[in-house]
Amino acid sequence: MNEDRRNLSPLLLRLGSVLAGLLAWHYAAEVLIKDSSILVSPLVVLSKAYEMMIATGELYPHLFASSVIFFYGFVMAILVGVPLGFLMALSPLVRDYVNPWMTTLYTAPRIAFAPVLLLWFGIGAGSKVAIVFLGCLFPVLINSYYGMRVVNREYVELARSYRLDRWALFRKILLPASVPYILAGVRLAIGRGLTGVAIAEWFGATEGLGYLIFFAGQTLNIPVLFVGVAVFAVLGILGFEIVRRVEIYTTPWRGQAQGG
Amino acid sequence: MMMAGPVLELRNLNKDIPRPGREPFAIFNDINLSVREGEFVSVVGPSGCGKTTMLRVLNGLLPHSGGEILLDGKAADQVSDQLLMGFVFQGASLLPWRTSLKNVLLGLEGRGHNPQEAEQVAKKFLDLVGLNGFENHYPHELSGGMQQRVNLARALAVNPRILLMDEPFAALDAQTRSFMQLELLRIWAETKKTVIFVTHMIAEAVLLSDRVIVFSHRPGTIRSEFNIPLPRPRDMDIKSNPQFLDLENQIWKQIEQEVKAAGGFAQL
Repeated sequence: MNEDRRNLSPLLLRLGSVLAGLLAWHYAAEVLIKDSSILVSPLVVLSKAYEMMIATGELYPHLFASSVIFFYGFVMAILVGVPLGFLMALSPLVRDYVNPWMTTLYTAPRIAFAPVLLLWFGIGAGSKVAIVFLGCLFPVLINSYYGMRVVNREYVELARSYRLDRWALFRKILLPASVPYILAGVRLAIGRGLTGVAIAEWFGATEGLGYLIFFAGQTLNIPVLFVGVAVFAVLGILGFEIVRRVEIYTTPWRGQAQGG
Repeated sequence: MMMAGPVLELRNLNKDIPRPGREPFAIFNDINLSVREGEFVSVVGPSGCGKTTMLRVLNGLLPHSGGEILLDGKAADQVSDQLLMGFVFQGASLLPWRTSLKNVLLGLEGRGHNPQEAEQVAKKFLDLVGLNGFENHYPHELSGGMQQRVNLARALAVNPRILLMDEPFAALDAQTRSFMQLELLRIWAETKKTVIFVTHMIAEAVLLSDRVIVFSHRPGTIRSEFNIPLPRPRDMDIKSNPQFLDLENQIWKQIEQEVKAAGGFAQL
């Protein structure tokens, strides 16, 4: 009973917060600004979205193009970032080689790389995937590295006391202990990857959600612009939800401790 | 199988930590101890006297600096890859992503047991420590006392020659601690294990042990030994036995002297 009440109120708060935001938006558009070349009501955006998805279907090629770019960049970042992060945690040699590059590339603004990558990989999918890859790589890499480095010393000692060999130590202690950190990195990577998609498609693209937003902005098509932004937001929420489910599935032991 | 000699013998065992440009930092010195089959030996002493470090050396977690450790008469480093000593950690050290059963299985995995057999063994020891029905609980679903029970079951499951226990009840509240002491007495009586038990609670040492070893202040060495001839099985009533109180008092006086010799209570 008690738990129900505790679970109910955050949900209500969240719904209330979203509703309040939409209402404020609607009020600002319809009452305060009243200029559809600057801001339109969420209702207009919704009807535009309906039109683009159901009536004309013109949204889907853009959605598909962006999803493909995101998917490749994101998956490659995980395939490279997780093992490289582990290697850095386990080998000081690898760590010292990778560290300066990691710091430099991570802190540099990614948008600055876009023209260079475009030059190197051409205006096709290659450069876009590379931009997304760069965006997703570092949160995954850094978290995998960090997660394995901060594994509780007690667990490592336990492994030694029970004479686990190095492979068993990795598989039974270090890897499971790192999973929550890796997933936190993956979660960050989703946001950065979607940003990467938007950036990538602003440069010389002919389709994709980023292109859609960019083009709508240039032609002052405010409803379409907002549809593009909203689709990005929905993709982000969807991605977070998927990671949350993976988290529950892979780390059921975190139980109540999840928030802490 | 009964051995004629002691299960464990320590000869002039010492441990120090090298310091560059200075003389080594001595943790403990000249420990001579022999432990009989099935004996329950407690080690008490002032904080920082090296008693926990000695357990860690015995478990192979740390190397020793000199002297010998003999297990059944053989140098321990020659048999150290076998699980001759089970370690019960001060913090339960349970892996949070493993259930009770899987935590107990940790020491059995990769040792050539077939999985069903290993699981039978793990279940048997969970039963023994009173956790029947909690096999599939995760550590965060267990109380502190229950976590220590899993910790104990895990150490027993590998069938160690000697059970090393490092203040396993230190983090428990007083009531749970008393129950766990009685549980340990029961489990010890059932398994007939040889136990070396480190604690800072004198009453706990007297209640549980056949023999109490008192360490001096650092560098720790054996200051004295007390045989505890109190009858078994023991329960909490024994704590009001005059002989119990006398032993507790004698041991306390020695530790008090050691603390004073080390620079007084302010050092604690």
